[in-house]
Amino acid sequence: MEFTGLFLAVAVVQLVAWRGARPLAVGLFAATLIAAVLTYLHHASDTLNLSF
Amino acid sequence: MSRSFAMTLNVIGLYAIAAVLAGAFAAQLSLGELPCPLCLLQRIQFAMLAVGPILNVRFGPRASHYGVSLLVAIAGAGFAARQILLHVAPGDAGYGSPLLGYHYYTWAFVGFAVALFLLAVMLLFDGQFAANQKDEPPAVNWLGRIAVWGVITLTALNVVSTLVECGFDRCPDNPISYQLLKRLM
Repeated sequence: MEFTGLFLAVAVVQLVAWRGARPLAVGLFAATLIAAVLTYLHHASDTLNLSF
Repeated sequence: MSRSFAMTLNVIGLYAIAAVLAGAFAAQLSLGELPCPLCLLQRIQFAMLAVGPILNVRFGPRASHYGVSLLVAIAGAGFAARQILLHVAPGDAGYGSPLLGYHYYTWAFVGFAVALFLLAVMLLFDGQFAANQKDEPPAVNWLGRIAVWGVITLTALNVVSTLVECGFDRCPDNPISYQLLKRLM
């Protein structure tokens, strides 16, 4: 579910970068990048089965 | 390097990102191999890599836009490197099918490393930034518009694909079926 949310956030950032205000796009980008890194760190601390 | 040439290179970069996203989709659908959570994170980073070039095409080249892409490429290379290291032990067959002898996450690492190199090269040319003093948004031709909308469309398709794969629960570590379809049937 969190990956669907991240893809959705990236699509919104791309749309804002193309159609919206530049500061808003950069701000949303920063929030999405932080969310992606936090998602990675959350999964990276899990028990590893196959790929994680 | 002129401003217009730099913008052309950014449009080419967007087509390259679109090709990577489309290729990942093609492999997923043709081979029936579902991306694992770490694979999805790398795809997300490739989609985020497009934000910098989109800003460059829309507002004109700026060093900060290349910085946006550099941050994404560093994170993406880190995610891919972790997956390489997870499968580096002797006897580990790796995750998924290899392509030309290397797994997708190895190719992803190569892709992010190439992006880092190309972004650094782009930042060497100051001439592209001079015209930004006027703050005039550049004219975007139809090739540029197709590149931007192509990347946005592929990212939106990934939203749908990931929702169908993971459903409303946590994505499985080793996905073998589409969770949402399984729940509906």
